[in-house]
Amino acid sequence: MQRAEPPTADDAFSADLLRGHTDTIVLATLRRGDRYGFEIYKAIRDATGGAHEIKEATLYATYRRLTKDGLVEAYWGDESQGGRRKYYRITDAGRAVFRKNVAAWVATRDVIDSLLSADGAGTDKDTPR
Amino acid sequence: MTTVHRLLDAALAGVEPSPEVQDLKEEIRANLEARAAELQAGGAAPDDAARRAFDELGDVRALVADAQADAVAETGGTPRTPLQAAAAAAQQHRVRPKPRFVLGVVLASAVLVALLALCLLDALGAVDLPAVVVAALLLTASSAAGFVVGSSLSQETTTNHPVPSRRAGGYYLATALAVLGLMLAGFTALGTFDEWAYVVAGACAVVAGTAFTMLGVTQTNRKKAWVRDVARAQASDDAFGRFDRDPAAAARFGVYTLVIWLVAFVVFVVLGLTVGWAWSWLTFVVALAVMMLVLARMLFVPQDDRRTSR
Repeated sequence: MQRAEPPTADDAFSADLLRGHTDTIVLATLRRGDRYGFEIYKAIRDATGGAHEIKEATLYATYRRLTKDGLVEAYWGDESQGGRRKYYRITDAGRAVFRKNVAAWVATRDVIDSLLSADGAGTDKDTPR
Repeated sequence: MTTVHRLLDAALAGVEPSPEVQDLKEEIRANLEARAAELQAGGAAPDDAARRAFDELGDVRALVADAQADAVAETGGTPRTPLQAAAAAAQQHRVRPKPRFVLGVVLASAVLVALLALCLLDALGAVDLPAVVVAALLLTASSAAGFVVGSSLSQETTTNHPVPSRRAGGYYLATALAVLGLMLAGFTALGTFDEWAYVVAGACAVVAGTAFTMLGVTQTNRKKAWVRDVARAQASDDAFGRFDRDPAAAARFGVYTLVIWLVAFVVFVVLGLTVGWAWSWLTFVVALAVMMLVLARMLFVPQDDRRTSR
């Protein structure tokens, strides 16, 4: 429910807008427990109705950035068969940043909503910020 | 599943296998396998599933190049020393300790300490336990000590791969025996057991010592790849090189050790029964000295001629 997506999906869905919040979205998927790459990817894919709007390559870069900033930490699982999975865990700093980003998103969304509805003819999607 | 490996290997052929690349490759591989398994569950043929999962990923080389660029940017572009590289790799390969393992070790340690304390109280006369009960307690305590060692060895750590369970089991037994021997001897000295218990303690020590030697000499590849790289870079002439180069020498040393300790044990029993137990333990000191001399002699072969030890 924290996923930052406009409620009106359909074709008019803004992938750019979603991609701008990749960090926050990844943090959101990690809030309920440690996950490895494919689980994160799947969570996002399922939430966007099967159309994966965030590329895996983008996600790998995101994990790297989040790890470097100390918002998540990585560790290897100990699966006995198959490849070892690299799990990510959200840190306290990550949770703080997540909360901040959600608050920022809500505030921005409210502003945009009121701007667009005030004109009455808000046809195009606008990127926040 | 193997096709995922092959596709990935083929795509990354020729890429310098730096720690970052290896790391990312392993991560991608596990994710691809999971995706391929999902596609297969949806009815795709194994090969098609692997191929589709791989194609969805996009340009793997670009992905890896990205990771490498990031790593270079982080270190300021300067080449790293082997030590820095190893530290970075260790950081990347961090493994979280399993709560179950931590709990188990803490519990085992607690059991060990508690039982040992109980036996000590008995030896001091504070409580009165039959010798058989004390022996059983000591057996349990030594088993706990062995468990701590064996269980720790079978864990994946930052610097070492987990020791295979059978080998870890060997360390478990060896440790348990060594600790049991030590405690039996200690409590016999305190007067809990009759003097013949020294024989049992000695037997435990001999078997444990032999087991440790065997395990140590046959140990291979416990260190992770990058740790071995550093070791190679730092000390090209490491002390145990001879045993690496010449496995037969290692096996020979194992046999010598066995013989030395067997003889020591027999002499120990004979001396104990004739001269007395108070001095017979010195046999083991002599045996240790002999073993160390043999080890030194076998590791550092004289250079002038091919006089291998013995």
